[in-house]
Amino acid sequence: MTNEPQAPAGAVQLSEEAISHIDALYRMALRLTGNAPDAEDLVQETYLRAFRSLHQFRPGTNLRAWLFRILMNAFINEYRRQSRRPANTSLEDLDEFSLYHQMLESDFQPSVAQPEQEVLARLSEESVLEALDELPVEFRQVVLLADVEGFSYKEIAEVLRIPIGTVMSRLHRGRRRLQRLLAPCLCQSPSLCHGQ
Amino acid sequence: MLNCNEVAERLYSYLDRELSPEEMAAVQRHLDACPPCRRWFVFEENMLRYVGECARRVRAPDELTERIRELRQS
Repeated sequence: MTNEPQAPAGAVQLSEEAISHIDALYRMALRLTGNAPDAEDLVQETYLRAFRSLHQFRPGTNLRAWLFRILMNAFINEYRRQSRRPANTSLEDLDEFSLYHQMLESDFQPSVAQPEQEVLARLSEESVLEALDELPVEFRQVVLLADVEGFSYKEIAEVLRIPIGTVMSRLHRGRRRLQRLLAPCLCQSPSLCHGQ
Repeated sequence: MLNCNEVAERLYSYLDRELSPEEMAAVQRHLDACPPCRRWFVFEENMLRYVGECARRVRAPDELTERIRELRQS
């Protein structure tokens, strides 16, 4: 027996469930801040805020999305303004770059029957992560929430508090921009580098 | 039947399963009948999957998880 005050069983269970999402929150924080110490600080700040307001969480709603919303708010409030990254610009260009169509139009001669497989095989994990990190932050957020964390458009809209139409537009442009950033990694054939 | 341009406009909404069931079926019908579009969609789907796999390999350091557990108890 202990005389220390005990948290209600429900709160303990909820906080344990919150901690089970730490890998997802950390990888998001790492891609947003660009370095491990800042990512750890951001995750810690996220859990501080979450534990403090756990009583406001409505059971039965999406805990994971709620945690990501806290993380995004903390990022915008605490980290983005101190970020050592250069300011991201140019959200306006209509980037319709397509790696696949670039490949078809080039003299890229794949050695296997399925060229699309060969394209992916040439992309290292490192090059994909670097390309993600180069995306403007507004694009990076939606691409990570959709393609890494598997959130729906509606959930992303709620996490970032933006309209669904904006989610769709940023996702489309972010994915296109990502392919443009990855194109140089495939440049064994110079013609694949058109538009770089 | 949707044409290639109409299907192209729905690329990501289709891959993200964000279309209505009727529209999903309409895109699928086109893809079944159009090998060039089908190959492009498969490429894009693989691309999205690969990006997700690369980023999901990152794990939180154990020390951080420990710190968060201590935070909860404080």
